[in-house]
Amino acid sequence: MSENNTTQKEFGFLIDASRCIDCRACLVACSVENEVPNDISRIWIKETGVTGQFPDLSRYSAPYHCMHCDDPSCVSACTVGALQKSDSGIVTYDADRCIGCRYCMYACPFQVPNFEWDVRFPLIVKCDMCVSRLAAGEGEPACAATCPTDAIMYGEKSSMLAQAHQRIELNPDKYVDHVYGETENGGTATFYVSPVPFEELGFPTGGIVSSAYTNRLVTHGTPAVAGAVAIGLSGIYLTIKHHEEAMAGLGEEMHGETAVSAFPGEPTHNETAEA
Amino acid sequence: MFIKKIVGEIKSLSVGYFIVAVIAASGLAVGAYRLYAGLGDTTNLSKAFPWGIWISFDLSTVAFSGGAFTLAALVYVFHLHELHPAVRPTVLAGLIGYSSVLVILFMDLGRWDRFYHFLIYPNLNSALFEVSWCIALYSTILIYELSPVFLKNSRFSGVLPIIEKWTIPLVIAGVTLSTLHQSSLGTLFVIMSSRLHPLWYSMLLPVFFLILSLAAGLAMVTAGAVISYWVFKRTLPENVMAELVWFIPWVLGVYLVLKLGELEITDELHLMFSSGMYSVLFLAELIIGVLIPIILFSFKKVRHNRVGVLVGAGFVLVGTVLNRFNVSWFAMRPVNGEVYSPHWMEVAILVGVVATAVLAYSLVAHYFPLFDETVVVTPAQTRIRNPQTILSPKATGD
Repeated sequence: MSENNTTQKEFGFLIDASRCIDCRACLVACSVENEVPNDISRIWIKETGVTGQFPDLSRYSAPYHCMHCDDPSCVSACTVGALQKSDSGIVTYDADRCIGCRYCMYACPFQVPNFEWDVRFPLIVKCDMCVSRLAAGEGEPACAATCPTDAIMYGEKSSMLAQAHQRIELNPDKYVDHVYGETENGGTATFYVSPVPFEELGFPTGGIVSSAYTNRLVTHGTPAVAGAVAIGLSGIYLTIKHHEEAMAGLGEEMHGETAVSAFPGEPTHNETAEA
Repeated sequence: MFIKKIVGEIKSLSVGYFIVAVIAASGLAVGAYRLYAGLGDTTNLSKAFPWGIWISFDLSTVAFSGGAFTLAALVYVFHLHELHPAVRPTVLAGLIGYSSVLVILFMDLGRWDRFYHFLIYPNLNSALFEVSWCIALYSTILIYELSPVFLKNSRFSGVLPIIEKWTIPLVIAGVTLSTLHQSSLGTLFVIMSSRLHPLWYSMLLPVFFLILSLAAGLAMVTAGAVISYWVFKRTLPENVMAELVWFIPWVLGVYLVLKLGELEITDELHLMFSSGMYSVLFLAELIIGVLIPIILFSFKKVRHNRVGVLVGAGFVLVGTVLNRFNVSWFAMRPVNGEVYSPHWMEVAILVGVVATAVLAYSLVAHYFPLFDETVVVTPAQTRIRNPQTILSPKATGD
């Protein structure tokens, strides 16, 4: 991405499923910070449910919010450009632009964007890394600041990713050997480590190419297709027209009448057509 | 008095108009309630299924309305002037189809109060942005193409020669815009690789959408002509109908080869028989919408028979609707087992909009010279003998 050669620091999350105790303090903190009701929140919990045989029971959970993709599908989809990727890596949402078409909800491979279904003039509900809180000088988003077990950590993106790999390296028996979010949908700014496979936590398993990229391959072809179709149609129209006029000229000739354009040295078909 | 005249006219209309009008009004009343109440209580849309039957309806209707651009291309670009009598009824159907889509899209927008934002906040990467623009521009061109019907007997008939002069460039612009948005409706789903079942998901979706819309458009023109034979006692000459449906097997043949070829290349062909309900939907779509019409319209007897044309075209249309519903609804894989079925209000609003469309078409057909060049059905005359009556007025200057 062209983003890479800017000097702006990118930020992200490191979320450790082994540390999450499902206390849901992050949900409350998010709800209070961003003034959204708890039932259509920007953050929620994914969990495995209780697994294993008694007495060896286990249960894992992890908070889940916008992954802040490097090349976000929602940004590519948004009809009016209300969703944008900021220089610091945040996928931001402009509530004043949104028309509520909900294309982003279908485009997002992580099923992140939420919607205010019960409001007359609804908006999309989506994590923006507490951008206004950060702007006010607070160090980190509400969820990370609140988390009592440091399951949610916030910091510079490269450092978060390095720490994720370090945890797996130091405890290869504890963690699954995969940093979720590193390659998913072309890479994101949220990195998960987990003691159980991510499918068991209910995480979507997507491709490593962003669907935004696939989408652009097609939508960027539009001007070329438009030009080609318009020129092709004009060509077909004029070709058949000239052909018909030539045939008509030939017909007249055969009936012994003046057939101007059929003789050499006379005006060509082209000129008669323009006349 | 003018009002008295209108009241008199209304009284003279048959009872069918009033029944349709009542249905239309009821549906639109539900629509007004939806705008007031929001989407939660009036639809079954959810986080897992943010789009529902409205989008499926929009996709189907735009495909049907493809008749207008297919026919415009055949008549004006490919010079098949003998098809000209079908142009006006089809363009009107197209315009009314697109208007219905715009109304339903308006219903679908959470922030319907900001519908105009697509005009001022462009996102050139967005397929939906492209679709919105093309539909808006193309509807304008359809109004232009149709304007002679309304202007002909009015005091503004003086502008008709000017309108005619610019017909060809605008038709070409219209066909180009249609190519773009018919295909872009397929592009909408290219970004949904994680949700749409692989039997339907493809980077070629825009191509599939475009080709099927050509077939659906032709089917719509001919089915419309047969229905109009019974309802309005006006129809297309039999040879014109036969020529239109002649194209259908070719178009569908291209579709079939591309569709199966794409599945073969991506190594997904086996899913055709191993995906349970998805396989049933997929095969139903291909057999009803593609295979049966190809076989039927290969017979000259069918092409020259009014009932045969209607049946064959019916298969194409049903198959197209199934395809659009599959892509936008049935083949969207559920999230956490959650599925979608529409709320009654969603259906009621659709019925209301369709009834309004039927009413609008009938009234225009009743009062304006829509069928000028079509054939009046009389008991003795089912075939056109005199080619003079079906030849078009020249589209361009000589």
